[in-house]
Amino acid sequence: MNPFALLLTSLAISVVGAFASLLAARHEATAIRLAGLAGGLAGAAGLAAGLAALTGPVAVLDVVGPMPFARFVLRLDPLSGLMVAVISGLALVASLYSLAYVREYAGRGVGPMGFFMNLFIASMILVVVADNAFWFLVFFEMMSLASYFLVIFDQDDEAVSAGFLYFLVAHAGSVAIMAAFYLMADAAGSFDFAAFRAHPLQGTAASVAFLLGLVGFGAKAGMIPLHIWLPRAHPAAPSHASALMSGVMIKIGVFGIVKVAIDLLGGGVVWWGLLVLALGAISSVLGVVYALAEHDIKKLLAYHSVENVGIILLGVGTGMIGLASGQPLVAVLGLMAGLYHLVNHAVFKGLLFLGAGSVIYRMHTKDMEEMGGLAKTMPWTSLSFLVGALAISAIPPLNGFVSEWYTYQALFAAAFDGTFLVRFSTPIAATLLALTGALAVMCFVKAYGVIFSGAPRSHHAAEAREVPATMVAAMLLLAAACVALGLAAPLVAPVLGSVAAATLHLPAVTFADGAILLPGDAGRAVLSTPLIALLLLGLAALPMLLAAVFAVGRRIPRTTAAPWACGYLPDGHMTVSAGSFAQPIRMFFAPLYAIRRSADGAAADLGHGFDGFVCRARRSESLFDRSLVAPVEDAVARFGRRSQIIQGGDFRIYCLYIVAALVALLLVTLR
Amino acid sequence: MPSFAQLLVAVVQVLVLVAAAPLVSGFMRVLRAKMHTRHGPGPLQDYRDLFKLMKRQDLRPPASGFVFKIMPIVMPAALMVVAMGTPILTRATPIPAIGDLITTIYLFALARFFFALSGIDSGSSFAGVGASRELTLGVLVEPVMLLSLFVAALLAGSTNLGEIGAAVADGRMHSAAATLLAGCAFAFACYVELGKLPYDMAEAEQELQEGPLTEYSGPSLALIKWSMSLKQLLVVAWFIGVFLPFGNAADTSLPALALAFVVFVVKVVAIFFAVGIVENSVARARFRLTPRHSWLGVGVASLAFVFYLAGL
Repeated sequence: MNPFALLLTSLAISVVGAFASLLAARHEATAIRLAGLAGGLAGAAGLAAGLAALTGPVAVLDVVGPMPFARFVLRLDPLSGLMVAVISGLALVASLYSLAYVREYAGRGVGPMGFFMNLFIASMILVVVADNAFWFLVFFEMMSLASYFLVIFDQDDEAVSAGFLYFLVAHAGSVAIMAAFYLMADAAGSFDFAAFRAHPLQGTAASVAFLLGLVGFGAKAGMIPLHIWLPRAHPAAPSHASALMSGVMIKIGVFGIVKVAIDLLGGGVVWWGLLVLALGAISSVLGVVYALAEHDIKKLLAYHSVENVGIILLGVGTGMIGLASGQPLVAVLGLMAGLYHLVNHAVFKGLLFLGAGSVIYRMHTKDMEEMGGLAKTMPWTSLSFLVGALAISAIPPLNGFVSEWYTYQALFAAAFDGTFLVRFSTPIAATLLALTGALAVMCFVKAYGVIFSGAPRSHHAAEAREVPATMVAAMLLLAAACVALGLAAPLVAPVLGSVAAATLHLPAVTFADGAILLPGDAGRAVLSTPLIALLLLGLAALPMLLAAVFAVGRRIPRTTAAPWACGYLPDGHMTVSAGSFAQPIRMFFAPLYAIRRSADGAAADLGHGFDGFVCRARRSESLFDRSLVAPVEDAVARFGRRSQIIQGGDFRIYCLYIVAALVALLLVTLR
Repeated sequence: MPSFAQLLVAVVQVLVLVAAAPLVSGFMRVLRAKMHTRHGPGPLQDYRDLFKLMKRQDLRPPASGFVFKIMPIVMPAALMVVAMGTPILTRATPIPAIGDLITTIYLFALARFFFALSGIDSGSSFAGVGASRELTLGVLVEPVMLLSLFVAALLAGSTNLGEIGAAVADGRMHSAAATLLAGCAFAFACYVELGKLPYDMAEAEQELQEGPLTEYSGPSLALIKWSMSLKQLLVVAWFIGVFLPFGNAADTSLPALALAFVVFVVKVVAIFFAVGIVENSVARARFRLTPRHSWLGVGVASLAFVFYLAGL
């Protein structure tokens, strides 16, 4: 089937679903079902369209739009096909999850929530396929606005304030993107991306446009130092919306950077790539360091999004370095590593946010200190969260490891031959990636351990139950995808490699040979995730066998009364908590946390700006009252008081009034 | 895909390391007793301990869940996979597809992940703090490991452990100073990984070190103790395979392998002897001062990197 037909079907279903959900808002159960069903169907159709476009030829749909100066052009190339597939895939799962999850929000406007969710999905798909700067910006704004309304859905102080910060940063970013596109349009004489590609900017103008695009899309991607909105806005939204925002919306920022730097500007110079590499390295380390200090589960995950965007940018930056310095292998390898991690992060971060949503659904708190021991009461949620935690910590043979392995290989290939600056910076980036990996392991041992392991720390945790079947199914789907993208890497890597090669207009590179993964050159390194999985399972049999042999005829394992606590009676407060677990890192990395305190100062200033804005708005509101409404009110009241004089209360005066009125009327008629 | 002979070498490697692991910890105990001028147990004591533990009943704290149960299986499995990919007897990795430096580091992380998580899962406060310290040490050590190996890989032109080892053995590393410094930094990182004084005290369960084991007993404890000895042996074998590969077999012929085995034993004994001397002559460093030492490792690895860049 024609991918455009599928894509337009998906968009139409989203829009219809959005309005249907709004219309059915009175009947909440129906609204939830309509919104979820539409999201699921649109996701399925979009996934099919994206997958078809991955390998297919570039397809362009050119329609005369309502604006004479901007043609409505949609373009499906391998890169946008990949993005459409990722967005739609996660939208499909999030919609399945929403069927039960949104019931938590009953009575608080689930109709509008379904409306904004579906519009959000449709606008994200439209952003990545739009091939005209004007329409790109329109859909980009639509996406920002729809997600803004999802962020402020809770309507409490934190959500509204986080939403405002998000609103500010998103629009500051849009302005930068607009400026970048204007520069390009000025040179190309048209708003079509096709014209931008045909007449790419040169020299300083190109660098200025790239920097503007990097700032604009970097803000959307949550790249440090433009990340301040992300750890506040993502936790505020409902969990299935957080999954989409963290899983795919921030990737549109990365997509934008690739689009501007590689697709529209044709690769540019080496320092562009080095800048992206440096920002990626900083984002990855600081993101995970800050995540470790959190005890709000969704904030922790949001900071991990900053980290993972950093890792994706490491790949993308290496790809840009390779393209600019004329090393096709490095270019394809780097971009492919970035794209692989982009897909993987969408899957495992979506999974982790849905897992966090399930926990919050039962616990009604985001504070990890209140949880504990949920593995026993919520086994499926705990299992899927564990898979997600292992995948995001890049533990072999899961998907996160494969993409990080390719990122290391890309950095290695770039370090091997290149200019001095490249040879200097790529090994440092690789070392920082290793630091990030070790910190991520610590962070997810903490997250999983504090939420699901040990003894329950609160009444709610002790009484939690497993979540409804649709939510479990959604999480298990994503957990299966984590395993599949890891074990089937020899099938996935060549496809992503061809996407990267097509985006860069370079010849394809060999990424797999049978069940073996290789970074273009088998002499450099080889990897086989299926083999690792097989060996892990096979070798696990040895200790099991040993234990089984000795267990024959012995007493079965016994559960003791309490853990050992130096002879004291253990109680819940003695167990490790989210704060104490990360304490050594907070101590050793104190200077990095000091950076955040000063960055938070900037965020707080923006927050104060919001307060000032509200305050001024209130004052101007009263100004309107004072100058227009109040004088009229006063005049009416004064007139009333004056006219009271004639009502003396004495009936003789009223008789006098009647006589006077009769005389007056008689006089009028007689004359 | 590896040939049959290579696969056989890999399997033999794993079996030899697994079988010899308790002997290594027994040897360390003998050495300590000698340095304390006392009569300690013989070198086979650890086998007797493990055998006794295997026959005991497994006790589990009430809070523990499935992670606590599967850890004694996952940890040895992960370490045995590493053992299959490390060049121990031959110069080349027996199975190249798992013998990459990045894969090895992350497979160790798999073992560490479950080791630490089981500490939290036991519900014991000591185990939890021990888990936190175990992971913190990982954070301090992994970057040093990666940077030193990365420099060696750049000099050798491949991230495969066997290829790096072969380049060292053949003298193909075009910067001797960088190789030496990278080797020193990697040796330091390996030493911290061994869990020996001054960074850790693997025999003191009541204190925080080896903390995640606090609540284990019986066969589970035996399996974990066994894997911890295996890990020590494996880390040393890893260092030997990359930076001291002299004498390893160039092919899979039987005489060459036999010679390589003898050479390997000599090297392991020599290294553990040196480790024992260091371990028994220093006091424990305060945990919060560990970063000062690990910065030294980072410094040496960075110096190796600078030497590589300068082409010295």
